[in-house]
Amino acid sequence: MTHTFKGGVHPNYMKAPQVPISVVTPPPEVVIPMVQHIGAPCKPLVAKGDYVKMGQKIGENPAPVSAPVHASVSGKVVAVEPRPHPLGDMIMSVVIENDYQDTPCEDLAPLTEEELKSPEAILTRMREAGVVGMGGAMFPTAFKVRSGIGKVDKLVINGAECEPYLNGDHLTMLNYPEKLLKGIELVRIAGGVKKAFYGIEVNKQDAIDLLNSFHPEQYGIEIVPEAVKYPQGGEKMQVKAVTGREVKPGGLPAGVGCTVVSTRTCYAIYQACYEGKPVIERIVTVGGSAVDGPHNALTRVGTPLGYLAEQCGGFVKTPRKIVLGGPMMGICATSFEAPTIKGTAGVLYFTEEEDRMVENPQCIRCGKCITVCPMNLEPVFMYMYYNKGDYENMEKYHVMDCFECGSCAFNCPARMPLTHAFKTAKLMFQDKAAREKAAAEAKAAKEAQK
Amino acid sequence: MSEKKERIILDVAYQPQVRTTQDTKRLMLDVMIALLPAIIVGVLQFGLYPLVLLLTGVCSAVFWEWGYRRLFKKDASIGDLSAALTGLLLGLTMPPTAPWWLPVIGTFFGIVVVKQLYGGIGKNFLNPALAGRAFLFSSYATIMATWSIPNALSGTVDGTTMATPLAGMYGDGLPAYFTAKSMFMGYLPGCIGEISAFALLLGGAYLIWRKVISWRIPVSFIGTVGLLTLIFGKSGYSNGQWMLYNLFSGSLMLGAIFMATDYATSPVTLNGQLVYGAGCGLLTVLIRYFGGFPEGTTYAILIMNLCTWALDKAFHRHQFGVSKADIAFKKAEKLAAKEAAKYE
Repeated sequence: MTHTFKGGVHPNYMKAPQVPISVVTPPPEVVIPMVQHIGAPCKPLVAKGDYVKMGQKIGENPAPVSAPVHASVSGKVVAVEPRPHPLGDMIMSVVIENDYQDTPCEDLAPLTEEELKSPEAILTRMREAGVVGMGGAMFPTAFKVRSGIGKVDKLVINGAECEPYLNGDHLTMLNYPEKLLKGIELVRIAGGVKKAFYGIEVNKQDAIDLLNSFHPEQYGIEIVPEAVKYPQGGEKMQVKAVTGREVKPGGLPAGVGCTVVSTRTCYAIYQACYEGKPVIERIVTVGGSAVDGPHNALTRVGTPLGYLAEQCGGFVKTPRKIVLGGPMMGICATSFEAPTIKGTAGVLYFTEEEDRMVENPQCIRCGKCITVCPMNLEPVFMYMYYNKGDYENMEKYHVMDCFECGSCAFNCPARMPLTHAFKTAKLMFQDKAAREKAAAEAKAAKEAQK
Repeated sequence: MSEKKERIILDVAYQPQVRTTQDTKRLMLDVMIALLPAIIVGVLQFGLYPLVLLLTGVCSAVFWEWGYRRLFKKDASIGDLSAALTGLLLGLTMPPTAPWWLPVIGTFFGIVVVKQLYGGIGKNFLNPALAGRAFLFSSYATIMATWSIPNALSGTVDGTTMATPLAGMYGDGLPAYFTAKSMFMGYLPGCIGEISAFALLLGGAYLIWRKVISWRIPVSFIGTVGLLTLIFGKSGYSNGQWMLYNLFSGSLMLGAIFMATDYATSPVTLNGQLVYGAGCGLLTVLIRYFGGFPEGTTYAILIMNLCTWALDKAFHRHQFGVSKADIAFKKAEKLAAKEAAKYE
C-alpha cells in the first residue's frame, strides 16, 4: 500500500540516479550571497583583503529567522559587493579567490556524545552551521524545529523528490543511509518528537530497501512508501500522505502537529553535528538538453552557473533558460554569473526542446486544471478573474491557497500561463496588504501628532 | 569564452518550465480517432455516400472558421482542429441520404453564429455541432427525418425508407427484426454516426484511456437514462429489455460520449459534471416519454449546456484542508450573524 494525496500530475521524470556522484572542482572564484535563506539577510563579517578558511563563518544576522553563511573554499576575499543572485536582483555577496588549499576552519567541532542527546545543543549547532531547508524553500531549519517544540507530535521527513530530473535526495539515501538515519534522529531529538515518518516515493524502492536494512526503528524512524506523483513532496501533501492530517488553509504543518524536513537537510544536520561541517556543498543535478548530461555533481556553494556548465562538459546546444531547482517549481536564473546556493537542488540548462509555450493561448475550458489541483482549487475560474482584475472573486476562489506547484499549468493542453497568473496575483495581494498597512500606520501617526 | 556566453539572452518565466505533451490539437485529433469506429459502421450500413456528407461538413466548418477569422482580422485558429471536429460531428448527425449542401448550412450556424460570434474556441455556450443540427432540424424537418434502410436490414424491409426503432417503441410497437443485440451492433436506421452503440462505446473507452474526457458525464448521462427506463418500463416489454432498447436506440450514445462532453459547454467542476450528466439523462427520458419528438438527446444536451455556468457556480468546491466540520461551523456562523442582524 502506498500513501498519497488527491490530484497531482505525472510529468516525464527524466531521473538518472544511476549516474554516480561526480565532484566538481571548485571555481577559481566563489561568490557567496548573503541571502541564502528566508528571513533577515546576513551582514558580511569579512572585508576585502581578509584571508578566510573553508567553512569559516563570513556572514550572519542575530535575527531569529536567519541563517549564517560560510566560506565554501579557503582563500582571499577579493570583493564584498552586490553581485547577481540566482533568484534575481543584485545581492550583497562575498567573493573569495580560491587558493585550492581547502584549509579547514576548526570553529565547529563535532558535538560530544552528550551534546548529541541535548536538543538545545543540536538546535544551536543547526543554526551555527547555517542549515536551511535544502529542498528549495531555504527556511532556517533551527527556527522551524524550535518553534514546533511542544506543538509537534509527528516529524515528517520528505524523501519524495517528486520534481523531475533531481536525484540528490535519492543518491544521499543510497550513498549515506546510516548517516542520513542518524541525521533524522537528531532532528527528532531536537524537536522532542517520539517518532519520525520518512515518506519516500516508490520509484526509489532500492533506497527504501537499503534504509530498511539499517533498522530505522532503532532511530525512531518509520519509512512510509508513497505513490509516485507530483507534487508528493509538497509540504502539505507530504503531511496528508503520511499522517492523513490536512493542513488548514493559510496554516502551517505545525498547526496539525507536524514538522516537515527534507532529506538533504537531515544529511546536512548530520554533517553539522557529527562532523562539524557547515553547509558549504550539496549534490546539484545538472541536466537539460543544452548540456551533455545528466550529472549528479557535488558542488560547492557559490559556484557560478556558467562555470558549473563548463565543468559538466560545456554546452552542446545554446541554452535558452537556466532553471534552478526542478522544472515544476524551479525559477529561472537571469545570469551565468549567478552562483549556486544552499537551496539549489538542480541546475537545468533548457533549450527550445523543453519549451512548449504557444503564442496567444486560448482556454478551452477542459477543466483538466481542476482535476489535478492538489489544493482542490479551480484554476480555470481563478485565471478568468485574474484576467478581469477581479480581486474579490479571486479571493473567493482562494487564490491565496495556491502554493504554485505548477500542476495546473503543466497539465493545461491550451498552455495557459496559470501558475504565472496566480503567483502574480498573490504578489499583488501582498502588495495591496502592505500598502493598506502603510496607509493605516501613516494615518495613526498623523492622529498621534494631533 | 565567458564573454561569448554573456551574449546569450536568457528567457525568464515563472514555473512550471515543462509542459505536458497533450495539447488542444492532439485532444481534437483524439476525438476524431475515437469517432473512426462509428464512421466505419456508418459506411458499412449506408454505403460510401455518407463520407461525402462528412467531408462537406469538415471542409465547410473549416472554411467558415477560416473565413470569419480572416474577415475580422483575428488570429487564424483552424490549426487547432476544433472546427474540423465540429464539422465531423455535425456530419455524423445527418441522415445518410441528406443532400450534400445540408452540412454546409449547419456548420455556418454552428461555427459562425454559435462559436465565433461569442469569441471562438472555449467561449461558446452551446455545442456548435448540436446547435447546427437543431437549426437544420427546425429548417429542414422532412429531410432530417428521412431514414434509409441499413444494409443489414435490406432483405428484411421493403421500400427505400423506414421508421427508426424509437418511433416504433413510442408508437405502435417495435418490429420484431430489432433485437437488443442487433441494435447494439448498429443494425438499425438512423443518423450516420449514431447507429452502433458498440462502436461509440469503443470510441468512448479510447477517449477515457487517453484522458481526453473523464467518465463522469457519459456515465451519469447513460446511467440516468438506464435507471429511469428500467424503473418506468412500458407494458409489452420486460423492464430490462425496455432499458436496453432505450440505451441502444436514438443518438443517446453519440450524445453522451461525444456531444455532452464538449469542453466549452459542459461544467468543469467534478460534481457539476455528474449533475450535468444526470440532467441530460433526465431531459432525454422526459422528451422521449412525453415530448413531441421521438428523440430528445439533442435538445436535452442543448438545454443542459445553458445550465453549465450555474452548475459550475453551484458546485464550487472547498479547498484542501477544509473539513466538513469547518463548513458546518462557517454556515452556523453566517446564520448567527443573520439572526443577530435581525434584532439590531
